[in-house]
Amino acid sequence: MAQSNTVRILDGNTFVVSEDTGDIEATPSEPTGLFSLDTRFLSTWVLTVNGDRLNPLSYDDLQYYEARFFLVPGLATHYIDAKLSIIRERSVGGSFREQITILNHDEKPVDLEIRMEAASDFADLFQVKDEILNKKGEIYTEVEPDRLRLGYRRGNFKRETVISSSEPARYDRTGFAYTVHLEPNQHWDTSIDVKTFALGPGGRDLRMGVRAHSTERLALQHDLKEWVANAPKVNSEHDRVASTYRRSLIDLAALRFSPLSLGGAALPAAGLPWFMTMFGRDSILTCLQTLPFTPELSKTTLRILAALQGTRFDDFRDEDPGRILHEMRYGETAAFEEQPHSPYYGSVDATPLFVVLLDEYEKWSGDVALVKELERESRAALKWIDDYADLVGTGYIWYERRNSDTGLENQCWKDSWDSISYRDGRLPPFPRATCELQGYAYDAKLRGARLAREFWGDPDFADQLEREAAELKQRFNRDWWVEDGEYYALALDPDGRHCDVLSSNIGHLLWSGIVDHERAEKIAQHLVGPRLFSGWGVRTLAEGEVRYNPIGYHNGTIWPFDNSFIAWGLRRYGFAEEAATIANGILDAATYFDGRLPEAFGGYQRELTKFPVEYPTACSPQAWSTGTPLLLLRTMLGLEPHEGHLAVEPRLPIGMGRIEVLDIPGRWGRVDAFARGRLDLHKMAD
Amino acid sequence: MVDATTRFFEDLDRRGYEPLLEKSSGTLRFDLHEGARTTHWLLRIDHGRLQVSQEDLEADTVIGTSPALFDDVVAGREHGLAAVLRGDMTVSGDPRLVVQVERIFPSSPDARGPRRRFQREVR
Repeated sequence: MAQSNTVRILDGNTFVVSEDTGDIEATPSEPTGLFSLDTRFLSTWVLTVNGDRLNPLSYDDLQYYEARFFLVPGLATHYIDAKLSIIRERSVGGSFREQITILNHDEKPVDLEIRMEAASDFADLFQVKDEILNKKGEIYTEVEPDRLRLGYRRGNFKRETVISSSEPARYDRTGFAYTVHLEPNQHWDTSIDVKTFALGPGGRDLRMGVRAHSTERLALQHDLKEWVANAPKVNSEHDRVASTYRRSLIDLAALRFSPLSLGGAALPAAGLPWFMTMFGRDSILTCLQTLPFTPELSKTTLRILAALQGTRFDDFRDEDPGRILHEMRYGETAAFEEQPHSPYYGSVDATPLFVVLLDEYEKWSGDVALVKELERESRAALKWIDDYADLVGTGYIWYERRNSDTGLENQCWKDSWDSISYRDGRLPPFPRATCELQGYAYDAKLRGARLAREFWGDPDFADQLEREAAELKQRFNRDWWVEDGEYYALALDPDGRHCDVLSSNIGHLLWSGIVDHERAEKIAQHLVGPRLFSGWGVRTLAEGEVRYNPIGYHNGTIWPFDNSFIAWGLRRYGFAEEAATIANGILDAATYFDGRLPEAFGGYQRELTKFPVEYPTACSPQAWSTGTPLLLLRTMLGLEPHEGHLAVEPRLPIGMGRIEVLDIPGRWGRVDAFARGRLDLHKMAD
Repeated sequence: MVDATTRFFEDLDRRGYEPLLEKSSGTLRFDLHEGARTTHWLLRIDHGRLQVSQEDLEADTVIGTSPALFDDVVAGREHGLAAVLRGDMTVSGDPRLVVQVERIFPSSPDARGPRRRFQREVR
């Protein structure tokens, strides 16, 4: 969605997407703007000097919350002998601030008319790619002596953008202007403040009193420093691992998001900038990836998702008692129930994964208090699996949306419309059950059993869960095995027929432990075999399938997060070389993106393209791509909490050199892990 | 005829305990405005134990809306959080209590729940 020449800065869910001049001229194909609370507060923000647009010399995105643009007047099409330079420095932290500095390099004085065009369409985030022709409310503009107020009103729903300037400006209905006289070598500057308001009746802001941290620039700087200092240090013989880790850590800081009304605690949002909100699945999987490095994210994620766990039936929101939410939004379409995200519950993996994360978190942190605090919610989640997810009565998690207008068809991580198919390419009817969901359910039951036995004092419930898990594993291995291909079906249709394509989902089954031991080797072979493994990573769908397309969103691209869980699964079943092969490929790919893995990249054979081809509309950074290098490090180093201490069993490929991870936090205090590359992956391939 | 709001609060008071609120403590005041008249409901929560009165006392969280909308919310016909996002329901004070209390509002009377199709017998 975001174009490659756009510049993005953000704090929480306030963010600015602009052109490389700093200008904003939003169009459906170029959805730039100032956004907050899933609403666009500026759709036009264009700076001119004496009527001329400005031309970019360079820009720096200094930190995730600030950027600087160096500009000169005139167009890029001819040589510019600039006598003026213009610097725009901006940051977001609650409000949006921009400092404009103009320097006169001429030997003569100049008279300048400096103007900013400013307007807002107050588009909902769900509408930014559409032509907005008939908004249901009313857009208004109020020109005041010292500020410009842009507003939108629909009933009691009111959003306002208020623009003011440190240097006196002349405000009019379409922007504001300054008349400036500059002597030779003189400079001029002004500081512009753009505040966003989400107002209810009586003028109260919806976000009143909700802030994870102070939003002043200095405070943001301090917060980022502290975040990096608190995380383990990674040193590596080859710079790429350490620098990829560092990039991930900073991106994770940027992706922290404090939901409204939940006391300022932060959890990882799904992706920058369009998915800066709570997503059950993305937040949980990112926490699982980052647990050894930033465990506090897991604690707040579990608490926040528990606080919003479903309690009733709501067909519009696909809510059931015990179900963990899919996505929360704060914009106009959610408010007026034109979209169901207030919150929307249409995913079926977040609920079992909630229990999986709680157990994994306790193993690392020893935080028994949280396990006890969330007993009710965990039990409700486990009950949901049996009572409400089994739509066909066969003992599996199924999905079929009840909101047939705006709900999600595919409620698993491969959520595009054509992601689940039979081998002949046809799409199955609903309800559908994908294989990885059954693995998550199995894992949730076993982990729930441990929690019940050790912390909830309920051995009977533990026994029951273990019995159910064992039966599920047996049933699953009977019903899902595709004999002629020797792998597990991607999904079942309501009649129990196989969606018999070879897919990356089978890797998640290893992670969950539902794969029979005698079948694990076959699964491992598929995962690093030529149909699934491209040389960079495991494709979502195997080459040779009817719907395979190397740039098919869920039908052939490679998703780094998917690969990190596959590698973890391979390691779990003892396939350390195969895990290292995947880790090595993905970390190699990361170097082509300056350490910032995209959401997905093309499934082309590595020898064919020589570099990983980024999926065209991928969101970046995306939380679970950002978490990927961290989980790969865990996997290669064999970091595993074991009876109160941290076990380290490194299996690194030779080319990886020496890696040390210092100060890994957990119930053991802080410990270090060291590893050296000893695995010869080429030998394995022979 | 007693309205849904009165039934809702009287029911809470009678039950005296709501397990979904066992982690919550604090006071919420609901100010239901109709013209110049405001009806108050005060809900005290102490680790799930509930006490209801109609006192106009200071509270940790104050929710303001119309009696008609609140009637719809406690009957499951309207959604509380969507109403807050729309500005039809205002919140001042601690917003966490609203998110917690919102969970005890009932399902819509028209909700069908999961569409099960048990063509097969489970053994």
